[in-house]
Parts: sequence; C-alpha cells; structure tokens
Amino acid sequence: MAVLGELERAVMEALWAAGGPRTAKQVQQALPDRALATTTVLTVLTRLQRKGFVARERDGRAHRYRAVATREQHLAELMRDALDGAPDRGAVLASFLGGMAADEQEAVRRLLRRRAK
Amino acid sequence: MTTISIALLVLGIALAGPGSRLLASARWPGRDPVGALVLWQAVGLASGLSLLGAGVTYGLSPLAGSLLPAVEAFWHNTLALRPWAGLRGPHLAVLAATAVLGGRLVGVLLAATVRTLLARRRHRHMIDVLTTPWPDRPGARVLDHPLPVAYCLPGLRSRVVVSTGALDQLDRDQLDAVLAHERAHLAERHDLVVLPFVAWGTALPWSAGVRRSQFAVASLIEMRADDRARSECGAAELAAAVRTVEGGAARTPITFAAAAASRIARLEAADPPMPRAARFAVRLAALALVAVPTAVLMLGLWPLA
Repeated sequence: MAVLGELERAVMEALWAAGGPRTAKQVQQALPDRALATTTVLTVLTRLQRKGFVARERDGRAHRYRAVATREQHLAELMRDALDGAPDRGAVLASFLGGMAADEQEAVRRLLRRRAK
Repeated sequence: MTTISIALLVLGIALAGPGSRLLASARWPGRDPVGALVLWQAVGLASGLSLLGAGVTYGLSPLAGSLLPAVEAFWHNTLALRPWAGLRGPHLAVLAATAVLGGRLVGVLLAATVRTLLARRRHRHMIDVLTTPWPDRPGARVLDHPLPVAYCLPGLRSRVVVSTGALDQLDRDQLDAVLAHERAHLAERHDLVVLPFVAWGTALPWSAGVRRSQFAVASLIEMRADDRARSECGAAELAAAVRTVEGGAARTPITFAAAAASRIARLEAADPPMPRAARFAVRLAALALVAVPTAVLMLGLWPLA
C-alpha cells in the first residue's frame, strides 16, 4: 500500500515534468526506477485516473495520459483545504498555520473559484 | 401532558440560550477541557431532546392522557393512513414542525458526515501525491511549501503533514511538540467530537447557542491536544512553536491569530488542573443534564395516579 502510494507520487512527478500527454511506456521510461513493468505503471495510472489526477485520451492504438492540473494548482487546493479546515469545519484539523497574508489567501481562493467555473 | 411539554420547552430554551451563554463565558474550561467538552455534548443533547420531546408531547396530547398510549394511537392512525385523525390546528402544526426539525437535524448530520468523508478522501489523495514521507519521524509527511503549516487529516487512514516552511522555522523540540499535538487530535478522534457541532451549525445557522457551542468546542479540542503535547514535550516548546508558526497576527486569518494568542497565554499561565472533586462534579452535571429531560419524558409515558 505504502509502496503503491510512492509509485503514484513518482508517476505524477513524471507526468508533471513531461508537461503533456504520455503513454504508459513513456512514463515508465521517465521513472527513476527503470526496472518497473509497464503493466505496473498502467495500474498506477488507472488508480490516478480514478482519483481524478490523470485523464486518459486515445491516440491511435495507444492511450495517452496527462495530468489534470499542475502541481501548483493541487498545492493551492491542498493549502486552501488546510486554511479553511479549522476551526469550524470537520475535514482537516489545522492547529499550526500561519505566514499567509489575508490578501494572499484571497488570491488563492479567487484562483480556485475561477478554476471551479 | 401539556404541563410536561411546557416544562420540556422551558428546559430546552434555557439550555440553548442562557445555559450555553453561561458555559461559553466560564473560565474553568481551560483547566478541564475534557470535562467542558463532555458538558457541551450534554447541553446539546439535552436541549435537543427537550425541544423535540416538548413538540411531540404537545402535538400528541389530544390523543391520550399520557405519552405512551398517545404514541400508540398515533401509530394506529398512521397505519390507517390518517395520521392527523384526532389532531387539530396548533397540535398538528407543532407536530409537523417537530418532525421537520428532527428530520433536518438527522439529515444534516448524515449529509455532513458524508461530505466530510468525501472531502477527507480527496484531501488524503492529494497529500499522498504531493508529500514525501519524513524519514526522521515515522508517520509524518513533508509538504514542500514555504508557508509554515502543520496539520492532521483525521480518519481511519490519518495523515500528519508538516510543511518545509515549518521545518525551516522550528527547532527539533518544537517540532516534537507540534507532532505530539497533532497525534493527540488523531488518537482521541477530535474530528468526531467536532462533527455534530459543525453539522448542527449548518442546520441551525441562526441559533446563537449552536454558534457558541461550535466555537467553544473548536477551541477546547485545541486545549486538550495542547495538554497532551505539553505533558510529553513541555509547555515552553509548544508555546514557542505556536508563536513561530503563527508568525504575527497581521499575517494570519483572524480566527487563527486569536486562537493562537489565547493558546500561548494558556500555555504560559499554566493554571493547575481543576481539583478531582470539581472534575467529578462537572461530569456528574453532564449526566444530570441528559437525565432530566429523559426523566420528564418518562413521567409522561404513563398516566399519573
């Protein structure tokens, strides 16, 4: 389970670095651990697709995968969850939080609202 | 039965209004956060039970002289597809309002639970792709972000996240205090404590009592986690960590800045915990709060001699 989680992260890093759609084979070649089977990479890509991080498109006989959003966009969403999470919402318990000015937070929220439309 | 329903109504309003105000302004909860949390839960449960009980008792009172036969008669009428039989005007209106309120409380709690679980799963997936395991501290994960942030994602597959910004600014002891605080949240499932108050805050947004309870419970779980962290790592380290992360009131959300300031003040004052007898009395009071409306409802079950 933990190993699979690490693979998911590695595959996402590879897709983010690639900047465009890639086949499972291409992703496998871009991974630091070249010994992985392409089928394993495919499994990981399918999991990431189910989690909404990756979209699949057909290209001739092969499937190509691309990251749905950039790393920065996901980071912004994560930070927004953490910032909004406390003290009165249940999903996240954030007790140590700081450093972001109110206008910066507002900018992050605006960005996310625009993306949601 | 009318007397009983009036008694329940008065009790429910007294708890939701003056009762919650009294508890929210009390000073002792800082010295016994767990007792205060139990008491808040009892106040919520007892006022809800009283208000719904008052509605049911009043609404069904024309059907019989006591609650049990009245419920029985209502049940038979409902099975005969005429639930309103024998009920008129105000009784019917109160009964309908009670049903709507009760349904809303249950429905909103269920909806909030589902929403929270979904939001958590999404957030956990994001944590797993965006953070790396922290080799020094098993179980904690590091987020590459300049903002100093440390938080936990509760649940069966919980996560503790610390940002690189926090790692840069905190020393080793302070980090241990932060982690102890987050682990206390997770170990005691503070998310489950908060959940009903959050849910009923959305169900009854106009209720000042519910708002007060929500705010009080949110700060009480922080106090409790602070208490556990300070018993493991020392109050000075924890206070320093809160101060460092919070950074300066102007740069943090108002609620956090206020909460951080009061947490630091509490850690530095180091008031002794409440005496054992007082803590026992608080828990006894909580039990009594729930027992009273239950007993009053029971009184209405059977006809009085």
